[in-house]
Amino acid sequence: MTIKRTIKFYALCALLLIIVLFVLWQHMRSTTLFSAHIEENKIDITPQQITSIKEIGQWEFLSISEEELVDTTRKGIFSDDHLVRIYKGTLRLGIDLKELSEQNVFIQNDTLFMTLPPIKLLDEHFIDEANTRSFHETGKWKPADRERMYQKAQLMMKQRALTSENYQNAKDYGESQITDLMNNMGFPHVVITFEEASAQ
Amino acid sequence: MCQKFKSLIRGTKKITILLTIAYFFIFLHSYYPFSDMNRTCFIIPFLFCALLLTGCGDKEVAPPPAEEQPIDTLQTILLKAQQCSRLYTTEFHIHKIVTYDDLISVSGKLFNQDYNLRLPVGHRKVAFPMDATLKGYIDMEQLTPENFTRDGERLTITLPNPQVMMTATKIDQAGVREYVSLTRAHFSDHELSELEHQGREAIIRQIPDYGIAEQARVNAARLLIPLATQLGFREENVTIVFSDDFKPESLTKLVKLNTSGQ
Repeated sequence: MTIKRTIKFYALCALLLIIVLFVLWQHMRSTTLFSAHIEENKIDITPQQITSIKEIGQWEFLSISEEELVDTTRKGIFSDDHLVRIYKGTLRLGIDLKELSEQNVFIQNDTLFMTLPPIKLLDEHFIDEANTRSFHETGKWKPADRERMYQKAQLMMKQRALTSENYQNAKDYGESQITDLMNNMGFPHVVITFEEASAQ
Repeated sequence: MCQKFKSLIRGTKKITILLTIAYFFIFLHSYYPFSDMNRTCFIIPFLFCALLLTGCGDKEVAPPPAEEQPIDTLQTILLKAQQCSRLYTTEFHIHKIVTYDDLISVSGKLFNQDYNLRLPVGHRKVAFPMDATLKGYIDMEQLTPENFTRDGERLTITLPNPQVMMTATKIDQAGVREYVSLTRAHFSDHELSELEHQGREAIIRQIPDYGIAEQARVNAARLLIPLATQLGFREENVTIVFSDDFKPESLTKLVKLNTSGQ
């Protein structure tokens, strides 16, 4: 008798367990049991401030895009530290129309004579540092190291981009562009010359 | 996500090494119970190791002497010259302080209930000022003879709508501030670059609010009308008009194209 009651008890427990498991299984099918994710690296929302607004008149004729890979190595006792970054920059060659004076434009008979300001690098700040790509890093590097690498990249970009061929290229294209503009404004005969740069 | 774990693993290295040393001394003690005299001999080296490890990890290292300056090598991987005709008429300088607070927290769902759990593993912060130069310009290559109308002494120039370009960005490296707790590693160069990218994108997103295009239009007229008067036109006879197919929402697209295309 006791054995029968025990068997009945266990059978009832098993049945209850099956029911509970079935209900749970049904519930799990319609719900998300567990999911987890680590929050992404996102910068805080901070204000932006306009520090200056300038009225300029820069006419660009040649745009030189450069990517410079700067590899810096620091010798260590056991191993060397490396930092490799790729800097991107665009050097812009053209003229500053603000330097064009009234004496540099005159009309003689049916010909327009224009002496334009010299072709020059329009902006000394041409590296998009926030668009720099980090390529390789071992060891710990300080902000001063990155600043030094930036300066080197800037110097190297200038050396490679500011060649006499590029200045000539910008000058030729500028001449054709301004001649077209003057022709369209009603001056069929135009003579363009450029002032010589004091120091390039 | 992986970067967060990496920083944590690198940071906990220090703790792990300390615990290993402590375990080593406990292990020695269990085999060789020492007296008061030689206990000092074991504790002093342990404290020395602990100080050395914690000290090396977080303090600024003294600058290397002049003869150990890093050696730089430079290599150009892209050099592309392109003719263009852009008349830049306005220049804006934008300043932004990018901040990032790196707390490791896990969020998700447990039985359809949202949860957000901040893990007690320390945190780290970084802040850096950055400056961006934005220029508004007119693409003069788009001008054709149809853009110019002469009616006797009157001249009308129809200019294409201005566009905006981010010509440079600069991180103020001297102003970078970093705070890292003991269990975390310093920000890697890769992580910092990623944050700088985000700062740059945040500036680009806000460009339509600055009114650069409007300023570029006004300045273009201020630049071209005096040029026309130098050529013999009277100021009141010169008219500068812009194409009217311009919508402010199209500006963000133009900016993105220009910056990525450079």
